[in-house]
Amino acid sequence: MPTRDDPDGGPDLIDLTDESPEAVLALFEERGWGDGLPLVAPTEARVSEMLARRDPDEEVAVLPPRFGRATCQALAVNAVLAGCAPAVFPVVTTAIRALAGDEVNLQGVQATTHPVAPLVIVHGEAVSTLGFNAGLGTFGPGVRANATVGRAVRLALLHVGGAYPGRGDQSTQGQPAKYTYCIAENSPESPWEAYHRWCGVDAPSAVTIHCGAGPHNFHDMESESASRILEKGASAFTSLGSNNACISEGECFVVLCPEHAATIARAGWSRRDVQSFLFERARLPVAVFRRAFEQRRWRPWMQEIRDVEQRIPMTDHPDNYRVLVAGGAGKHSCVIPSWGVTKSRTLPLDV
Amino acid sequence: MSIRIFCPEGALGVQPMRLSARPDLLAGRRIGLLDNRKPNAGVLLARVAQRLAQRTGASVSLALQKSNAAVRCETDLLDKLGAEADVVLTGSGD
Repeated sequence: MPTRDDPDGGPDLIDLTDESPEAVLALFEERGWGDGLPLVAPTEARVSEMLARRDPDEEVAVLPPRFGRATCQALAVNAVLAGCAPAVFPVVTTAIRALAGDEVNLQGVQATTHPVAPLVIVHGEAVSTLGFNAGLGTFGPGVRANATVGRAVRLALLHVGGAYPGRGDQSTQGQPAKYTYCIAENSPESPWEAYHRWCGVDAPSAVTIHCGAGPHNFHDMESESASRILEKGASAFTSLGSNNACISEGECFVVLCPEHAATIARAGWSRRDVQSFLFERARLPVAVFRRAFEQRRWRPWMQEIRDVEQRIPMTDHPDNYRVLVAGGAGKHSCVIPSWGVTKSRTLPLDV
Repeated sequence: MSIRIFCPEGALGVQPMRLSARPDLLAGRRIGLLDNRKPNAGVLLARVAQRLAQRTGASVSLALQKSNAAVRCETDLLDKLGAEADVVLTGSGD
């Protein structure tokens, strides 16, 4: 049977003699589709309900390396497969729209040997109205909106974008975040302005995508000092194994738990202060970087430093630290290093 | 009970490009190199091109480098390769 990669195209609709989940999964396995987990059958009725009033032919993006057209219909099919409720569909389309920005370099993200996965972050009113978990266990399982939106984005990247392992996605080891990777900002418990408004997005709700590694936890159960907490974040980020070590323009998302954020804010620190502190503290001597890497995508001023004992930053500008609050009770925060040659993007939620 | 479901892939936004037909003989052909900036890609490609040229009577006409391994090849480099080479060697993994 022809597939949609054939120049002449293939069928939009496939007949299945059996509507059981096993039959759908067997078809997907046979075609080399899916993420290996059971799927919801994308019937005409379910896809129509997912689309609601959206134009099925609206092209949201063209996704490399397959260069498939991510129309609203194609994305609705993948949202159904992932188990999304129709209400969260605008989050899926916004995330895919964001991924299509030139600065994201999606072709590189999709095809690289690095285990990068797009993290979807939901901000604003949509967090509560659509049922996202911004609190305890925000990165983890248990809440449909987080789990299915991240999965729908991944399924679209697989099916429409063609990032099948070994056939488009060359990630050496992959990572669990390639199944689903979606959190929400905990604005009610954040001492600072909502992240999307700080980025200049004046909208009630928004979506950020960051193409990075998995989250690297740092804990501090005892400190009452902002610097003592953030020293641990700086330490977690100062790793020669991260792409940020050899690509200076990469960002680092710093996801603070509410308790750490409250302690830091009580000391009078702004989000900008957190960025500046991390920029100053997450450093290694030039000699260490040069011993570790012959090929460095660094700014010219970094390449020219002669004093090999000089400590230089893990990323070349304080703005590359992207700070927000998510999670619940406890004293665990995390840093999420970048793939490197990519920038995060924040867009207002599609309406 | 039977059901109908949608294909998850959707249509292509850009028709896939196809490689040119391989020449039957390399004698007299111009070999171009495109270093993708992966470690030692340039060394490997140069050596392969040199051996090919020696064995077949082809010549190495130009060697270019992408600006970075993680980004697409610049269009002007592709145009130059198209104009100045008959066969292009490229690619090397990590």
